[in-house]
Amino acid sequence: MTALLEAVALSRSFGATKALDTVSLGLHSGELLGLVGPDGAGKSTLLRAMMGLIAIDAGEARVLGVPWEKAPADSRERLGYMPQHYGLYTDLSVDENLRFFASLFDIPKDIFQQRRTRLLALMQLERAADRPAGALSGGMYKKLAIACALLHRPQALVLDEPTNGVDPVSRRELWGLLYEFVHDGMGVLVSTPYMDEAARCSRVALLHQGHLLAHGEPAALVAGFAHDVIEVEGTDRRALEPFLEAQDGVVALTPAGERLRVVVRREVRQQVEGQLRAMGARVVEGRADFEDLYLSLVASRGAA
Amino acid sequence: MNPRRFVVRVFAMARKEWMHLGRDRATVLFALGMPVILLVLFGYAVSFDIDHIPTVLVDEDWTPESRSLASHFSSGATFELVATVGSAREVERLFREGHAKVGLVIPKGYGRELARGNGRVQLLVDASDNMTASSVLSYASRFNVWKNHELLRVHFGNRADLIEVRGRALYNPAIRSVVFLVPGLIAMIQSMMAVILTALTVAREWERGSMEQLFATPVGRLEIVLGKLLPYFGVAMAQLLLVLALATWVFGVPIRGSMVALLGISTLFLLATLSQGLFISVMARNQMVATQAAAVSSMLPSMLLSGFVLPIENMPRPLQIMTNIVPARHFVHALRAIMLRDADLSVLGRDAFALVVFALVMLVLATRRFPRRLA
Repeated sequence: MTALLEAVALSRSFGATKALDTVSLGLHSGELLGLVGPDGAGKSTLLRAMMGLIAIDAGEARVLGVPWEKAPADSRERLGYMPQHYGLYTDLSVDENLRFFASLFDIPKDIFQQRRTRLLALMQLERAADRPAGALSGGMYKKLAIACALLHRPQALVLDEPTNGVDPVSRRELWGLLYEFVHDGMGVLVSTPYMDEAARCSRVALLHQGHLLAHGEPAALVAGFAHDVIEVEGTDRRALEPFLEAQDGVVALTPAGERLRVVVRREVRQQVEGQLRAMGARVVEGRADFEDLYLSLVASRGAA
Repeated sequence: MNPRRFVVRVFAMARKEWMHLGRDRATVLFALGMPVILLVLFGYAVSFDIDHIPTVLVDEDWTPESRSLASHFSSGATFELVATVGSAREVERLFREGHAKVGLVIPKGYGRELARGNGRVQLLVDASDNMTASSVLSYASRFNVWKNHELLRVHFGNRADLIEVRGRALYNPAIRSVVFLVPGLIAMIQSMMAVILTALTVAREWERGSMEQLFATPVGRLEIVLGKLLPYFGVAMAQLLLVLALATWVFGVPIRGSMVALLGISTLFLLATLSQGLFISVMARNQMVATQAAAVSSMLPSMLLSGFVLPIENMPRPLQIMTNIVPARHFVHALRAIMLRDADLSVLGRDAFALVVFALVMLVLATRRFPRRLA
């Protein structure tokens, strides 16, 4: 199956900074692909490159199997895109924004009316239809931006940090919407700086300083995690931290409330635990999550 | 390219732009108020009609003849007697202090000499203000001729053997400079307004971040550029009609020629200047730079190289050639031809052609230099 959007060994630099370094990634129909990484990892650059919005230095960005330079004129009619920063017109109302983008895609009036009604209901924006986009809350604005990107029924939807700056309730609603779209066969590509959102995707790609660290199904990625996670508590953290940092087998260390979360190599776990107990600390078994995975991958890349 | 979709998208852009304008009271007020203020301000301030020139009198003769001459000299509106002093030296002092610009010195014995047909007087002029000075000297020589006639008639009863050249001023019988200047003013004001209006629009899309969203849609560069041109054409046309109405009603500038020709050449001129603004907007990417580039690139040429104040015929040859690429030059020429002289439309052909070429070049440049990518 041809990928809807695809990056093939794609590189792009801004001055001396390598924003993307030979990244390959494809988005397919019916999947929810999450692009996860902290700020500055290169998420927006990758999404823009895959959308054909910026020039690339090496590699290729393809739309439906065709490089962007040779893409047919109607390619954009198959894609919906929401930039990270405000791209709508804040002085125009919700309705006026919808109407404007509908007319750029040449959607007939009656069809527009149907879709408008459905989208406003879906996004719970009916009562805000006449409000200026600039007067909406963060979550409502993002919903409107997604609605604008959905008007022309794209095959692929690309959303740059749709949940950033959105309250937890609206965030859950947004993910619910995305599942619906994917269920209907759309391919959805979402970027997020939140590691905990990675588990919600059908596939994730972890990006760090322009490098693709890993990608695959979230469950498989976590299951394939080669290290153990333990949580340490009960004694002076200031004494524990230098000790743990000095250990060769400790891959990553994060404070979690009163506890310290420690990612440790399996072969040295017993030995480290023994030493911790001798220092008067209690050790509890932890469950590996995405953040552990990400940090370990970053750490091992740094060591390599 | 699907032509129907092209038109649909251009109009979608235009409608959106029109809505921005509708929300933006300040811009609309600026757009309609500024030309009116500029026209009134310039219309009253820029005038080459020189009158009420402060004048000092030095009458060393003090005879009925000298008094008659002095009162004749200052009887019109041109000279205004501000002082009577004892010597030419004091006249100079008043010049230096800026209290007077002209001094009439009637020497002792004037009346006596006049009876012998040899009356001489001296006129001192502060030529640091050359416009006033040349105007005073030309008035003085007219006064001279006229006074001689009168004296010859009175003293000698002689009226033959003299040539009299009588001038008749066509198209502007009172030789009011405002009639000559207002068409130029209109061209200058409209150059500035049209360029500044559109210069902001593309830059604004970059600044507010909506360009990224636009680029993700099928809308093309030419569609964006044309869509932005349309509504501002409407605004600029409204400005122009407002200014024209003001010129006729307030300044009494006639519109002798065809209204259709006037609107036609105005359309071409506005398309040319609006396109210039769009080109600047595409190049600048931010509103600050765009405003400054727009102001400089429209005001200077339309003021200096349009023939609005400085006659093009007097410029060095290279500058004369350069004026051809200044839209205001063609508009000034056409406006004067239509409004003042009801000229044959064939004299407008060159102007129309130049404006069309200018508009097309600007539109092509604006579209081609418009990157279809963010970075």
